[in-house]
Amino acid sequence: MLSGPDPLRHLLDRRLLLFTGKGGVGKSTVVAALAAEAAARGLRPLIVELGHRATMQGIFADMGATQPIGHEPVPVTADRTIWAANLDFEAAIVDYVADQVKLRSVARTIVGNRALQGLFRAAPAVREIVMLNKLRLFERAVTRGRPTWGPILVDLDATGHALMLLEMPRVVGELLADGPLRGLVDALTGLFTDPARTLLNLVTLPAEIPVQETLELYHRLRRERGVPFGALFVNNVPASAIDGELRSYLPELAGLAAREGLPDLSADVLLAEQAIARDELVLTLIAQMQHEVDLPLALLPRLAPHEFDIPGLRRLGRAALSSLAAPPSPVQWDIQEQA
Amino acid sequence: MSLDDLLHRKSLLVCVGPGGVGKTTVAAALALQAARAGRRTLVLTIDPARRLAAMLGLDGLDDAVRPVPVETLPGARGHLDAAMLDTRASYDALIHRIASDPEHRQRILDNRLYRVMSRSFGAAHAYVAMERLHDVLGAGYDLVVLDTPPTRNALDILDAPNRLATFLEEGVVKWFVRDPGVGLRGRLLARGGAAATRLLGKIAGDALVQELGEFFAVFMSLREGFQQRAEQVQRSLRADSSAFVLVSSAMSSNLADAQFLHDGLVARGIRVQATVFNRAYVQLGDDPDQVVTTATPRALAHAAGRYPDGDPRRRLLAQLDVLRAAAAAENLVAAQAVAQFAGQLDPTCLKVQVPSFARELRDLPALAQLGDRLCAAVHAG
Repeated sequence: MLSGPDPLRHLLDRRLLLFTGKGGVGKSTVVAALAAEAAARGLRPLIVELGHRATMQGIFADMGATQPIGHEPVPVTADRTIWAANLDFEAAIVDYVADQVKLRSVARTIVGNRALQGLFRAAPAVREIVMLNKLRLFERAVTRGRPTWGPILVDLDATGHALMLLEMPRVVGELLADGPLRGLVDALTGLFTDPARTLLNLVTLPAEIPVQETLELYHRLRRERGVPFGALFVNNVPASAIDGELRSYLPELAGLAAREGLPDLSADVLLAEQAIARDELVLTLIAQMQHEVDLPLALLPRLAPHEFDIPGLRRLGRAALSSLAAPPSPVQWDIQEQA
Repeated sequence: MSLDDLLHRKSLLVCVGPGGVGKTTVAAALALQAARAGRRTLVLTIDPARRLAAMLGLDGLDDAVRPVPVETLPGARGHLDAAMLDTRASYDALIHRIASDPEHRQRILDNRLYRVMSRSFGAAHAYVAMERLHDVLGAGYDLVVLDTPPTRNALDILDAPNRLATFLEEGVVKWFVRDPGVGLRGRLLARGGAAATRLLGKIAGDALVQELGEFFAVFMSLREGFQQRAEQVQRSLRADSSAFVLVSSAMSSNLADAQFLHDGLVARGIRVQATVFNRAYVQLGDDPDQVVTTATPRALAHAAGRYPDGDPRRRLLAQLDVLRAAAAAENLVAAQAVAQFAGQLDPTCLKVQVPSFARELRDLPALAQLGDRLCAAVHAG
């Protein structure tokens, strides 16, 4: 749990920040925004994707990323302050085996064996373990006496896979009495359950279905212990459509439109009513999450398409930061103050 | 060709698409539409959201097939069943069906690696999805609508059975199974296998290798069934009686995922027959099918001669104009993204877009309304 005067500062101080949420809620945007803010604060953020998609490539394509994002970190901004990697399963196996046999060429030979490749692909849990192992290697990496990366922001796959990934060390641990994997699994469990180093963050949208599923995920994770929680990020929170004090005049305009036969005004009033209903739903859902979830909430304003640049991402990261530092009241909260 | 035609002519619709675009809802709406037209239909979803169950008028959704109360809709005459794919339950049911004797069955169910695998969500999910699909395709439905996991994992459903079959065919499994090789080739394989398992023991631990041996031994005994059914399902997926429906939103991030999926399907020899752009625009005119992308300010004009400067009603009218302009601007961005995406799809691929509804869909009538819109919707792009 986060506490203290500036919780987000503590959040960015963690070694590993994991992000999960239903597909399409904008995990990648949240991760990129926090990385931009971390870089602005002089930290050394590394964004890690787990090979499923290549979202970061698209996000940073226009921001100075010259190299394709691959298994080993590359800078994705012209000033080289934000780095990213997209893990590759085969390469992660080589990393793991090389760690065991101490010789990279031998590791390549082993992993190059066609039959063993088939085994690695089909055997349960291999993917999860070698991916987690790579995260551990990033976490341990040291340059000139200090950690190479921090924070490492991991864009986990959609919820089901994230759960599986995080459960894996514990599940596999049950299988292993000793042997080389035992040590690795213990190290992974140690890393992923240590709140001083690792926090799992949830990402959602202020809409009914994503919130419902986030609450289900939260309660499930709570029950099953495991990874310590960070914050709940609510992405794409819209600005209020119609000023609060003007809303009471809408019925009057609707009456005018009906009386004088003004169909376009009727349509505009209807649009406003829908927008207000949506805004009220957003506030209700945020209040529900504040009530039900024992985590700090970070609200991120909606970015217009043309705002997806480094300054835009930083603004987003800072907005998340300030809303974490000063938890919003759902009644008073106004997006304009955040932006 | 319209979505309606697909619903009438096909016997399997596979809905694929990125997460968070309403794919499950679209799949359910299409299935409901087919049922209302009199076809005996099943929707097989992978989404555990309770909301879908509520929308279908059900208490819950799980591995068991449940009838949806379609008869509560006016004029509906068909039959719709719904079920959710539960990896663990489907796996166990599969083992119960295939493993001939109770002792063999128990050995599989007790194997700890099996337990890990059946709990996992990745490749294992694809295997059982395949098995479940095989079951339901033989269950006498006129139409089966299959919902799939988001993006990459939908491709697993196409790849996993082959991967498993190839894997079982290759020598690896035999290394672990204590069946000595026959003939020179067999002995060589066995020798290579011994070397490989020793190596594996070194990097993964002997205990795990032993567990793997047991795991593969039980899986070897399932090989026949697996392969045969995987081939049947692969044939069904590629048959003329099947169609793939790609579902996306109009957001560029979703469209990028949809593109990845589309290309992956094409690379696997599967044609996408329809693309649905869900919640693609806000309806701004009288015609729900019309995508309004420009808005002339008009509300404030009504203030003239009615309300003085500074009057709150005047300010409200000005905000109505801003709101309308913002909605039109969002529609324009969405329309451009949709047009660009649709432009590079196969010309024969059906392209439809539906507006975002003012309220989230809550019940069967709302779902039927989406189904109507989908089948009547304008062609995009």
